[in-house]
Amino acid sequence: MTELKHYFAPTSLDQAVECLKDGDVTILAGGTDLTPQSQAGRIKIKHTLMNIRHIPQLTGITLEGREIRIGALATITEIMEHPLVREHLPVLVEACDHFASDQIRNAGTIGGNICNASPAGDTLIPLLVLDASVELASMPEAKLYRHSMPLSTFFVGPGKTRKSLCELVTGVRIPLPAPGHVARFFKLGTRPALDISTISIGVAGTLKDGVLSNARVAFGAVAPTPTRAAQTEQALEGQRLDAATIERVAAVARDEVKPIDDVRATAWYRKEMIHNITKRILSHVAQA
Amino acid sequence: MNVAEKKARVIEPDSLIGKRIPKMDAPEKASGRTRYIHDINLSGQLHGKILRSSRIHALIKSIDVSAARALPGVHVVITAADIPDQRPIGVAKDHFPLKVGRVRSQRDEIAAVAAESEEIAEAALKLIKVEYEDLPVISDPEQAIMPGAALIHPEPHGADGSHLHLKQGMSIAHKGKPDNIAMRFDYVHGDVVQGEAESDVVVEDTFKLHYVTHCCMGVSGMIAEFDASGNLLMYSNTQVPFLHKREFADYLNMDPARIRIIQPPIGGGFGSKLDIYPFEVICLYLARAAKRPVKMLFTREEEFLASPTRQPVLLTLRSGCKKDGTLTFRQVHTLHDNGAYTSWGATTPFVMMQTFSSLYRVPHCDYHTAAVYTNNPYAGSFRGYGNLQATFAIEQHMDMLAEKIGMDPLEFRLKNAQDAGETTGQGMSFKSCGFKDCITTAARRSDYSRKARENAANRGKPGNIKRGIGMASMLHVGGGAKIYPSDGCGTILKMDDFANVTLITGASEIGQGSETVLSQLVCEELGLPISAITVVNNDTAITPWDVGVHASRTTFIAGNSAIGAAKKAKSKILAVAAKKYDVAEDELDLRGGFVIQAASGEVVVELSKLLRNLHFQDKAELVMTTFYYEPPSVHQDKGFKGDVSAAYAWGTQVVEVEVDTDTGQVRMTKVTGAHDVGRVLNRLGIEGQIEGGVVMGQGYALTEDLLIQNGVMKNPNFRDYKLVTAPEIPEMDIAFIESMDGEGPQGAKGVGEAPSICIAAATANAIANATGVRMYELPFTPEKVYRALRGQTPKLYWKPWKAD
Repeated sequence: MTELKHYFAPTSLDQAVECLKDGDVTILAGGTDLTPQSQAGRIKIKHTLMNIRHIPQLTGITLEGREIRIGALATITEIMEHPLVREHLPVLVEACDHFASDQIRNAGTIGGNICNASPAGDTLIPLLVLDASVELASMPEAKLYRHSMPLSTFFVGPGKTRKSLCELVTGVRIPLPAPGHVARFFKLGTRPALDISTISIGVAGTLKDGVLSNARVAFGAVAPTPTRAAQTEQALEGQRLDAATIERVAAVARDEVKPIDDVRATAWYRKEMIHNITKRILSHVAQA
Repeated sequence: MNVAEKKARVIEPDSLIGKRIPKMDAPEKASGRTRYIHDINLSGQLHGKILRSSRIHALIKSIDVSAARALPGVHVVITAADIPDQRPIGVAKDHFPLKVGRVRSQRDEIAAVAAESEEIAEAALKLIKVEYEDLPVISDPEQAIMPGAALIHPEPHGADGSHLHLKQGMSIAHKGKPDNIAMRFDYVHGDVVQGEAESDVVVEDTFKLHYVTHCCMGVSGMIAEFDASGNLLMYSNTQVPFLHKREFADYLNMDPARIRIIQPPIGGGFGSKLDIYPFEVICLYLARAAKRPVKMLFTREEEFLASPTRQPVLLTLRSGCKKDGTLTFRQVHTLHDNGAYTSWGATTPFVMMQTFSSLYRVPHCDYHTAAVYTNNPYAGSFRGYGNLQATFAIEQHMDMLAEKIGMDPLEFRLKNAQDAGETTGQGMSFKSCGFKDCITTAARRSDYSRKARENAANRGKPGNIKRGIGMASMLHVGGGAKIYPSDGCGTILKMDDFANVTLITGASEIGQGSETVLSQLVCEELGLPISAITVVNNDTAITPWDVGVHASRTTFIAGNSAIGAAKKAKSKILAVAAKKYDVAEDELDLRGGFVIQAASGEVVVELSKLLRNLHFQDKAELVMTTFYYEPPSVHQDKGFKGDVSAAYAWGTQVVEVEVDTDTGQVRMTKVTGAHDVGRVLNRLGIEGQIEGGVVMGQGYALTEDLLIQNGVMKNPNFRDYKLVTAPEIPEMDIAFIESMDGEGPQGAKGVGEAPSICIAAATANAIANATGVRMYELPFTPEKVYRALRGQTPKLYWKPWKAD
């Protein structure tokens, strides 16, 4: 299942994006998705296999102005344990805590989780409700070109993103949450570890005097991509979280998602769970 | 010389029985040094790979292997056409290792390659071109059993459509079948019509048991080598080396005397290695054709696709009782999905009918099974052997009947539970029976009655987490099972001149800890520390005959055999010592590596010294003994009646759960078990075996589900086939009831299968206790439970199929 001819391990971002120019490159970071998927024949390793693990620009978790930047190579374990993340982004820590197993968390990277673009990707739901944006680098001419785009527009389908073949994800940027920020994540599966979500839900916003504003809701495993839920957000925006509102918002959420039947669950069950768990999360937020 | 030194040394009595003895293979396994079949490579070895069907049910129109044969590095490519002497294999001899003319399931073997490397062999498979003509897929046993259903194994016809007249006695693989029924089992005792007439309450329900598979950590594999004289050496993971040696000889049309099977340490069996599978015979064909050793190892996906499963069953049970709680009758009809071919799964009724007829006292019992061919995977033997399925139905009915007559379910069970001394309608005779002790102990330790009451009262109260507690019990053979004319095992025992003992046993170690327990039993007889023993148990050229690891028989049968050999050695040693030291033989004993005075413990002579003396003389003698143990059980008669085991094991498990009514998630919080094991031999070993069995039962109950849709396996991987992981394993409180079986080795009974049997049934009862909702279909995945809680599950009903 491979046409692999070259292996390349660049030590700088310039080298890496230079290499990407011809487009016939498979990028290796943690390898926790790439290895099983290539062995199962679901993806083909291209002409060049580029190991990006030696590029310093892709590492680290730092505070840059009013943003936290997480390098693409940060492993799930590093993120979970990092003081900046723990202090400002506990919802991301929560998601990492439900991510696969210790062994996979030690190897798997956030850049890989983003680029794998699974509808059930565990870190993607909290990143979406945290308004994260993706940093991209490329070398269209002879010079390094960097830009970023909101994560909410990044995914286009299972395993498919807006990243071009010549681009490399270098990191993810998350604005520091405002005062009164609340965020919750819930992953539903058959077992607590090593599970692919049946559904996952992220909710975030600013809670002031019982009213939720700047509401953001994201759902995993109910659409071809992890997705923000515009109608649910609208129903939630500026509302006081009383029982009637919570029930109404949960019903909007159930109607908004269009899941499918697969080996993990039916669409019916997924819609029921979106309703029940949205309700549960909002009740928790209301009590916070 | 002072007084103290003159005093004879005294050895205090000590025993290895009941102690916590670490498994002898644990250090090797824990440190990664164990050499499994995967780690064995022979010089000049080729790698074998199998091309499997890309269709579920189809005629094979043509196979073109020319490109594969031409690939550099490929030594041999074979299809059925290359093996004119292929013989059908399996329990019903209904398929060929390499399929002839027709594929009937996803796993079906079409061609095989032996090449210089696995990669080349894989590449060669891709070059093989097969043309098929699709046939309708029959994946529903209810359809397959209907008159007029398309046939999976049709009888061959001539070109003019007439029946080909094939000789009587030919196997199904040759002569086909006029229907899709692979096997039938019909058992009866008493008269269920009378039983029903005497009943005050009758319940009838259909239960559906799903596909799961063994998931051995070590995938299947074997290495075959023919030497220059044509002798065959196999490195095989079989659980049945001696009987399989004979079968392999049949398949290869060779003299069994020229076959030797060596079993490297086996990475898990659980019954999966109890039959011969196509890959094994194909590996032999490849080695024979290549004249080189051939190694064949499954990938994990292949392990899912081409290993046997647990028998899926659709079961309708009708049970009755009187108002006073006396059981009156049971009527059982099961539909076994046989899959495309017949392996041991089809024979699980042997065990299932025992549970229906004899777990509780039932005066009238009527049991029928039809095992029906479909295009699905085929089921084999799996720890518990049908008993999980039977117990699932029975123990739910015990709760339901108790509820109907308003009797406490614990009292109801105790009223109908078997006692020692009883002989059941099926002819099983319970010489030792701790069943009632199991029930009361598990109930007491779990506080079953109080919790059950409180949980039921809590159902209607607010809150999405509902607690439940449920009970189930089991009966299983614990003293072997005479499914063959013999159920015996041989032992050779030899002692060296340092008083070390070598135990050569026919019993295979498949991870269950048999070598450790057998060592304990021998060392106990000979008064030696466990460090003084070496076990040889994996080479048919050395070890004496045995009928294989199955039916929880090894501790009991091989244990008694080992004790027999040790007793003979002991009596020889004591006779020599008695003569040499002029003491009566019956005044001597062996203890702590010494011959001692039995009464005082005073040392007579160090055992190693005595043995050296025995060896170094002109009339030298060796202490080398043999023993063959055959249990006092009987082969069942044609009506499936007879005392098939020398002892029976009992157990009760109480499961506690928390059900999340918002999601349907079921968390197993605690398992309390009480097992009648006869006697605990190795406490550490038996705890591990029980805990492992509980977790296996938990997976069966909650998470494991091999999804087959239209004959296609949807989840042949550990991502989507969900084994239980460490965080979900419940707290366990396991008690042992020591009923001291008179025939058992040191009083012990077999317990290998027992702990996995009750969990699913007890979990169903726990969910009902928590929510008031009955679950008739496994596994209890969140969605299935949620649907049931919301009344979205149509009531299962399978109209019992009647034999005509």
